[in-house]
Amino acid sequence: MQRRDFLRTAALLAGLPLLGGCRQVLGWGLPIDVFRPGMAAGHRLRDAASLPPPRGTRRVDTVIVGSGVAGLFAGWRLAREGYRDFVLLNGPEPDGNAAGGAFGEWRYPTGAHYLPLPSPESAHVRTLLAEMGVIEAGGASLRPTFDERVLVHAPDERLWRDGQWQDGLLPRGLGADDDAQQRRFLLHVKQLQQQHGTDGRRVFTVPTALASTDPAWRALDRQSFASWLAAHGYTAPGLLWYLDYCCRDDYGSTLAQTSAWAGLHYFAARGGHAANAEDGAVLTWPDGLAPLLRHMRSRIGAERQLPGAAWRIQMQGQQAQVDYVDAGGAQRLLARRVIVATPLHVAWHLLPSMRSLGFERAHLPPRAPWLVGNVLLDRFPQEPEQSTLAWDNVVYGSTGLGYVVATHQLIRVALPERTVFTTYHAFADAAPDATRPWLAAAGADALFELATQDLYTVYGARLRRHLLAARLTVRAHAMASPQPGFLANAGLAALRAADGPILFAHSDLSGLSLFEEAAWWGDVAARRVLG
Amino acid sequence: MRDRLLILSVFVVASCGLAYELIAGALASYLLGDSVLQFSSIIGCYLFAMGVGSHLSQYVKDERVLDTFIEIELLVALLGGLSASALFAVFAWSGESFRLMLYALVFLTGAMVGMEIPLVMRALNQRQQRFAELVSRVLTFDYLGALAVSLLFPIVLAPRLGLARSALLFGLSNVAVALWTCRVFRAELVRPTLQYLRSLLVLLVLGGGFIAADELTRWNEKAIYGDDVIHAETTPYQRLVLTRWKGDLRLYINGNLQFSSRDEHRYHEALVHPVLGALPWARRVLILGGGDGLAAREVLKYPNVQQVTLVDLDPAMTGLFARSAPLVALNGGSLQSPRLRVVNDDAARWLERHGEVFDAIIVDFPDPSSFALGKLYSVPLYRLLSRHLAENGLAVVQSTSPYHAPRSYWSIYATLQAAGLATTPYHAYVPSFGEWGFIIAAHRPGYTPPQAYRVPMKFLDREATRQMFFFPPDMRRWNVLPNELNNQILVHYFEQDWSQVIR
Ligand SMILES: Cc1cc2nc3c(=O)[nH]c(=O)nc-3n(C[C@H](O)[C@H](O)[C@H](O)COP(=O)(O)OP(=O)(O)OC[C@H]3O[C@@H](n4cnc5c(N)ncnc54)[C@H](O)[C@@H]3O)c2cc1C
Repeated sequence: MQRRDFLRTAALLAGLPLLGGCRQVLGWGLPIDVFRPGMAAGHRLRDAASLPPPRGTRRVDTVIVGSGVAGLFAGWRLAREGYRDFVLLNGPEPDGNAAGGAFGEWRYPTGAHYLPLPSPESAHVRTLLAEMGVIEAGGASLRPTFDERVLVHAPDERLWRDGQWQDGLLPRGLGADDDAQQRRFLLHVKQLQQQHGTDGRRVFTVPTALASTDPAWRALDRQSFASWLAAHGYTAPGLLWYLDYCCRDDYGSTLAQTSAWAGLHYFAARGGHAANAEDGAVLTWPDGLAPLLRHMRSRIGAERQLPGAAWRIQMQGQQAQVDYVDAGGAQRLLARRVIVATPLHVAWHLLPSMRSLGFERAHLPPRAPWLVGNVLLDRFPQEPEQSTLAWDNVVYGSTGLGYVVATHQLIRVALPERTVFTTYHAFADAAPDATRPWLAAAGADALFELATQDLYTVYGARLRRHLLAARLTVRAHAMASPQPGFLANAGLAALRAADGPILFAHSDLSGLSLFEEAAWWGDVAARRVLG
Repeated sequence: MRDRLLILSVFVVASCGLAYELIAGALASYLLGDSVLQFSSIIGCYLFAMGVGSHLSQYVKDERVLDTFIEIELLVALLGGLSASALFAVFAWSGESFRLMLYALVFLTGAMVGMEIPLVMRALNQRQQRFAELVSRVLTFDYLGALAVSLLFPIVLAPRLGLARSALLFGLSNVAVALWTCRVFRAELVRPTLQYLRSLLVLLVLGGGFIAADELTRWNEKAIYGDDVIHAETTPYQRLVLTRWKGDLRLYINGNLQFSSRDEHRYHEALVHPVLGALPWARRVLILGGGDGLAAREVLKYPNVQQVTLVDLDPAMTGLFARSAPLVALNGGSLQSPRLRVVNDDAARWLERHGEVFDAIIVDFPDPSSFALGKLYSVPLYRLLSRHLAENGLAVVQSTSPYHAPRSYWSIYATLQAAGLATTPYHAYVPSFGEWGFIIAAHRPGYTPPQAYRVPMKFLDREATRQMFFFPPDMRRWNVLPNELNNQILVHYFEQDWSQVIR
C-alpha cells in the first residue's frame, strides 16, 4: 500500500464515525428507546415456524382479527347495533398505526395525529364523532358544530425556510410566478372538489369507495402526479416542494411515485366544513387519534378484546377457524365469520386461501416505511421573537416531515412545564426493500439522528438542553402507497367484494391509508356480518 | 524590604487594572449585548489608553515620581472604583450618552493604569536596582496580578459581590496602595500630609459607596422603572417587580402594570362587589388568578363567605403577598385568612381536574395578548367554568377595556354568550388603566346590580354602581365575532385594538 493511500484510508476511517456521528454527540446521555411494533410477530409468521396444537377452542359468531382503526370500527359498529357474539383479537400492536403513548402524563401519537373535518360522505365517521360528543350538533348537516377543544387551535401551521418561520405551509416569497401557480393550483383543486362524474358522484371523495367510477376521471390513475403537474404547467419550485411534502406526509411517497388521482384526491376529497371553524381545520388530540380508538374499545367492552396474534385462518367445513398465540400458548377460535383486519401482507401469510379469493402476491400494495420520533422536553425551546410555536411545524426542503406539538391543544394560563414533540419521517427516497434491512438493524443513535433532523435544523444544539427522553417507533411496513394504477388493482377489488365467511377490513383495501378509509372498510364488514 | 513592598504593590495595581477592564466589558455586554464586540472593543481601547499613559509618564519630574504615583492611585481608585455604579446610573438615567461615557471612562482609567508601572519602575530605578532584575521582577508581578484577577473575577467576585461592589473593592485596594506608600515613603514625598489627607478622603468615598452599593443599584433600577424598586424577583413563571413612589405601591409582571395601590381599590371593588353584593347567600367563592390577594380582600369583607379558594400558578407571588409587610398591609392579610385556601396550580388545569362548585367565581386572568393566553377566553374554558358555577351563582370575568379595546371586550362578551351563559357587561374608571371592563356571567338571565352594599367601600355606592352598568354612546356594543380557538380572532382583535391606542 502506498503511503498516500494509507493516509487517505486512515483519515477516512477516523473521519467517518465523526462525520456520521455528530448528532450522536447531541443525543449523548439521553435515554432513547426504539420500538418496532409487530416486527417479531410478523417475521415469525413470514418464516412459518410451526405452531403447537391449540390448547383450547372457543366458538363465537364473529372474530375480528386485528385492532387497528378498521378492526375496532367493525367491532364498534357491531356493538352499537346490539350485536354481542364476537371477539376481537388485538394482534401484536393494539391500535395499529393510530396508536399513542405517554411519558407519564404527557401523551403523544406514534402514528396518525389528525382527522380532517369529515365530509358528508364520511357519515360513518361523523356518527362516531357524534357519539363521542366531538360533534356537538348538526351531525348530518353540511356544517356540524365541533367541540372546540379538539379543533386544532391557532396557530396551526408554519414553515421554516431560510432560517425563518412563515405562517402556513405554502412557501411564500419565492417570486411572483410561484405565487401565481400556487393560487392557480388551489383554485384548480377547489373546482375539482365540486367535480362530478357521469355517474353523478363526486370524482374525489373520502371514503374513496363512494367516488365516481367515470373512466374519464379514473384515467388520472394511469399517470404520476409529477407528470400530471408538468402537463398542467405547474413547474414552480415552491409549489412543487409543497405538493411533494403533501404526498410524503399522506402517502409516504414522492410526487413521481404517487398516482395523479391520489395526489389530487388529497386536495379535492376533503370538503368538510364546521360551524365553528374555518374550512381546512382538522381534529386533533394530544395522542393523535388514539382517543377515537379508546372510545371504540370502551363501546366494544374489554371482555371481547383478546390479546394474541393470529397464526392461521382457514375454513373448516362451514366454520372459519382462527388459530392464534397468546402468552398462554396456542388457542383456536371457530366462527361463522371472520373479519380479517390485518394489513394485507400479514393476511397473505395468515390465509392459505388468498389466491382462491382472486388475490395474488403481485396484488399486495407497495408499502412505505416510516419512522415516528417522540421527544420529551423540559420547558419549551425559545422561539424567535416574531413567531409562535404552531401545532405542525415543517422545514422547507427537508426529507423529514417536521414536528407536531402534543401539548398544543391544552388550555393553560402558563406554558406547561413539559411537552412532547412528535417528528415524522417517511422513507420515500429509497426503495422500501433497501430501507427495511437498515431499519431493522439501525442503532438507537442513527435512528435518533434521523428522527430529530428537523428539530436540530430549527433549534440547533440548544435543543439538547431541553431533551429528557426519546422514543422512536419504526414502522417498516407502515402504509400502502397509492402508486399509478392502484385504482385498477383487481386483487384489492376482489377482497373489497368478499362477502363469504371470510371478510376483509383494512385501509389497504383502498390502496391509501387514511383513518376514514380504514373505518369505512370496518363499517362495511360489520354491516355484512349484521346482514 | 521597602523595595519589596513596592514590588508587591505592582501586584495589587496590576490586579486592579485588569479588573476595571473586565468589569467594563461585563457591564457593557450585560447592558448592550453582543459580548464579543463589547469585550474586544473595550480591551482594545483600554490597552491603547495604557500606551498613552506610559508615554505621558516620561513628563513626570524625577523628584515627584512617588507623589505622582500616589495621586494616580487615588484617581484610578475613584475612576475605576465608581465605574460600574456610574455606568449603570448613566444607562438608567440617560441611555444615549452611555457609550460615550463608557469609552471615556475606559480610556481614562486605562491611561492612569498605564502610568502606574513606569512610575514604579522609575521609583525603583532611582533606588539603584539592577535594571535587568528590576524589569523582570516588576513584570512578573504585573502578570501574576492579572492572572489572579482573571480567575477571581468571574468565579468569586462577580457572582458574589456583583459588578458595582467588585469595582468598589478594587478601588479600595488602589487606595490601600496609596495609603501604604504614604506611610512607608513619607520621608521621600514632597507633600506627605496632603497625600495622606487625599487618600483618606477617597477611602471614605469608596467605603461609603461599598456600603451603599445596594442602595445605588436600587436607585438605578428605579430609574428604569420610574420608581423605587422594593422587590424584584424572577420566578420560573414570570418576573415580578414591585415599586414604590411616595406611598404608591405598584406591581409589574413581566414589565406590565398589574396594579397601583393608589387606585387598585377601584379595580378590585368593581371586580368583586357587583357579584358578591348580589349574592348575600354566597358561601363558597373561587378566585382564578389574583395572587396579590386584593380581590380576596374584597371578598373576605362578606361575613357570609365561608371559604375562598384562590388558584394562582406562582407560589412566589402568593408567598410574597402573604409575607411582605407593605403588601400585607395592602391586602389586609387576606392570604393569611383562615377562610382562604391558596392553591398553587395552573387555574385552567385546576378547573379541568376538580369538580367543586362555587357560588361566585372571580376570573382575573391576564389579557388575551398571545395565542396561549387567548385560549383562556374561549367557549371550552367558559363551559368548564360554568360547570363549577352553582345553579344561581354568578361569575365575573375581567375583560379588557370596552373603551380602548372595544373589539376585544365585545368579543369576550360574545364568547361568553356562545358558551351559553347569560351576560351583563359593565365598566369602571381606574386611573392607572383607563376605562376598564368586566362581564358578569350566569346560567340564567335576570341579574340586577346591587342597590346598596353592607360592607365598607371606597369607590362604590348606589350611584357609582348604577353608572358602571350604563354604557354611553361611545362605548356601545361592537358587532364582533366570538373567539374560536381555531382562529383565535380575539388575539387579533386585541392586537388591533391596542395598536391604535397611544399610551
Ligand atoms: C406515521 C403515520 C401517520 C399517519 N397519520 C395519519 C393521520 O394523521 N390521519 C389519518 O387519517 N391517517 C393517518 N395515518 C394512516 C392511519 O393511521 C391508518 O390509515 C390507520 O390507522 C390504519 O388502520 P388499519 O386498521 O387499516 O390498520 P393498522 O393500523 O395497520 O392495524 C393493523 C392491526 O392488525 C393487527 N395485526 C397485525 N398482525 C396480526 C396478527 N397476526 N394477528 C392479529 N392481528 C394482527 C395489528 O395488531 C393492528 O392492530 C398515518 C399512518 C402512519 C403510519
